[in-house]
Amino acid sequence: MRKFSVAVVGVVLAAVVAACGGSDDQQTGDKATASGKLSGSISVWIMDPGSPKIQDVVKQYGTDFEAAHPGTKVDIQFVPWAQAHDKFVTAMAGGKVPDVAEMGTTWTPEFADQGGLVEQPKISKGDYVSSLVDAATLNGKVYGKPWYAGARALIYRKDMLEKAGVEPPTTWDETMAAAKAIKSKVGGGVYPVSFTGLSEHMYLPTIWQAGGQIATQDGETWKSALNSPEAAKALDYYASFYKDGLDPKAAVGWEEPDAQTAFANGDVAMLIAGGWTYNSIIATKPELEKKMGTALTPAGPSGQNTAFAGGSHLVQFQESKNKDLGAAFIDFMLEPAQLNKFTSEIGFLPGTTDGIKASGYLDDPQRKPFAEQLLEHSAVYPPSPKWGGLEGANIFDGEIQKVMKGQATGQEAVAELAKKMDEEFAG
Amino acid sequence: MRDQPRPPGIPERGHAVSSAPAAVSAGRSKSASRPPAAVARRAVARLTMPVLLLLPAMVIIVGLVGYPLVRTVYLSFTDTGLGELIYGGSTWVGLDNYKEVFADEHLRASLVNTVVFGTVCVIGTMVFGFCVALLLNQRLRGNWFFAIAVLLPWAVPALAASAIFKWLFDSRYGFVNWVLVELGFSGFEDYAWFAGRFSAYVAIFITVVWQSFPFIALSLLAGLQTIPKETLHAAAVDGAGPWNRFRLVTLPLLRPIVAVLVVFSTIWDFKIFDQIYVMAAGVPDRAADTAAVAAYREGFALSHYGLGSSVAVVLFVILLIFSLLYVRLIGREGTA
Repeated sequence: MRKFSVAVVGVVLAAVVAACGGSDDQQTGDKATASGKLSGSISVWIMDPGSPKIQDVVKQYGTDFEAAHPGTKVDIQFVPWAQAHDKFVTAMAGGKVPDVAEMGTTWTPEFADQGGLVEQPKISKGDYVSSLVDAATLNGKVYGKPWYAGARALIYRKDMLEKAGVEPPTTWDETMAAAKAIKSKVGGGVYPVSFTGLSEHMYLPTIWQAGGQIATQDGETWKSALNSPEAAKALDYYASFYKDGLDPKAAVGWEEPDAQTAFANGDVAMLIAGGWTYNSIIATKPELEKKMGTALTPAGPSGQNTAFAGGSHLVQFQESKNKDLGAAFIDFMLEPAQLNKFTSEIGFLPGTTDGIKASGYLDDPQRKPFAEQLLEHSAVYPPSPKWGGLEGANIFDGEIQKVMKGQATGQEAVAELAKKMDEEFAG
Repeated sequence: MRDQPRPPGIPERGHAVSSAPAAVSAGRSKSASRPPAAVARRAVARLTMPVLLLLPAMVIIVGLVGYPLVRTVYLSFTDTGLGELIYGGSTWVGLDNYKEVFADEHLRASLVNTVVFGTVCVIGTMVFGFCVALLLNQRLRGNWFFAIAVLLPWAVPALAASAIFKWLFDSRYGFVNWVLVELGFSGFEDYAWFAGRFSAYVAIFITVVWQSFPFIALSLLAGLQTIPKETLHAAAVDGAGPWNRFRLVTLPLLRPIVAVLVVFSTIWDFKIFDQIYVMAAGVPDRAADTAAVAAYREGFALSHYGLGSSVAVVLFVILLIFSLLYVRLIGREGTA
């Protein structure tokens, strides 16, 4: 009996080893032929959009591309956002990278700095959303093509604001006044806002709105600019809603989706969120479409109403064995007609200017604020190779949570954050 | 096992190993009549089979345990980041990472959390497991059903259980707060369990104990059923009440199995990852992180693979110390 089980283990082991080794040479011989005709196969990693419908749009790209270029094969895999950073790291460490991948804009400089990404030639800023080209730029070279982009604006419940007798706020002061009115007049356990502790895209932009900066660049090195009165003021403002009971008690430990759930359930009156969230709320609660209004992000004391321009790039990896086919597939996905199939579903704006024109976003009054926010009032985080790591470790969350809980002042928090950032930029 | 008569004609795998010394000594006594080369060849021939049979297991253990361990220890003495991990070229930094582990407030706190919270979980699991085992050991109707039902929490993947409990403890939509408010504890209206370290640990403690008591309970139940009824009857006749019977008869007889279970629980609860990763992510300033989560975040999120490895090594050493301590305690009790 024991002999038998040892033999079984041996066989299983052999099978495992064989299975692991089997994928090694998947791409050998998949080279574009010298004549320029495309052939071979590529693997593509796309961040999982979560909905089968949007997945189908992406899969259709593969099918359509294969049909247009007989003899090619596009293998699309969906990678959950939460695991994507780790997966890229392990893929690069193990030399098993995809040929083409979607990459969060803040990660592109990080992986480019490791020499993992292919420089994208012929990028002219006028063709793409310019802040996203900035986000893909490292030492003057562009490593990713903007695919889609979005910026968070204000989504509010018309009925609740009406009941509270307030207009959609356009400044910080108006936001605070509206929040207090909602708290006292709406009732039913409704909280005016959901400013959460784990959503840097909600609180970091308040620093810009206050007139501060996150980091400044000097040659190739970056230095934190957080230790400033403006940044301190921004964090104090953000946290004041929580301290005054205008924000759900649990929000200190919430991530963005938790805030969105609370809004969709009618427990929150105002939400800082993007067009993609707007779409997904309508998808889950169609009855809310009529009750929701949208507006630009409220402006801070500096008069700025800047939001973070997020999105993703399409990148190619250095170790890809079929770069021609990868480049052709990226260009195919970025054709305005193709692009809009995806962006209209997901609620983001196309990353190309032609795509935005074709999207019709600017003609839809409900969605126009999202487009306007992105095109005119948005900025990106410092495109430093270290930013991805800072973001991955959520160094900001801990300090903002302390301010929300009253364990630190805004000034103490920004001083501590500046120290941590500089350590990271230097290291 | 070895005393039991073996059915004839079925060779046991242990046979070759156990008889090897006999063969060697036998060979030595007859060494005058046999050339040494032949003896050596015979010994090699006798050893070939066991070694071959052990090889697959050895390969797996060396590959999956040995290599990662050695590599982690090595990485912990280097400044390996993302670039060094991919292209090599890391530098040796000596004990710098270890100094950092104990100097960094968050990492130091995570080690303290691991030991304190881990110990509390071990105690909780053992106490609850014991209670369930004693209940199941009663001759109650339908106890076989409960014995099987008790296994269910153990079968739930830790990640799924953590996600479920996170929802149960949700501030507004959670079942726990709803029940507490219905019971009249109105302070739990919208109570945010994960907004503070202590309350988060209460929720995580319940999750961990719920997940790990089945194994403890069933192992103890097995132990309880080996205790001869006569001993307990004798104690009862001598006038021992239920508590004294448990304290003076049951517990001492179960001591070896309890000791082993405590070692297991300690190892499980000290390297707890999933529950903390899922449930403690929102605790302000990540104050509830344990060493395993801190090592993961330091390594994979911040790409400080060297520092992350040294956290892992410190955790390993802590576990080693606790395990050795227990093993010594068991040994002492065995001789006493």
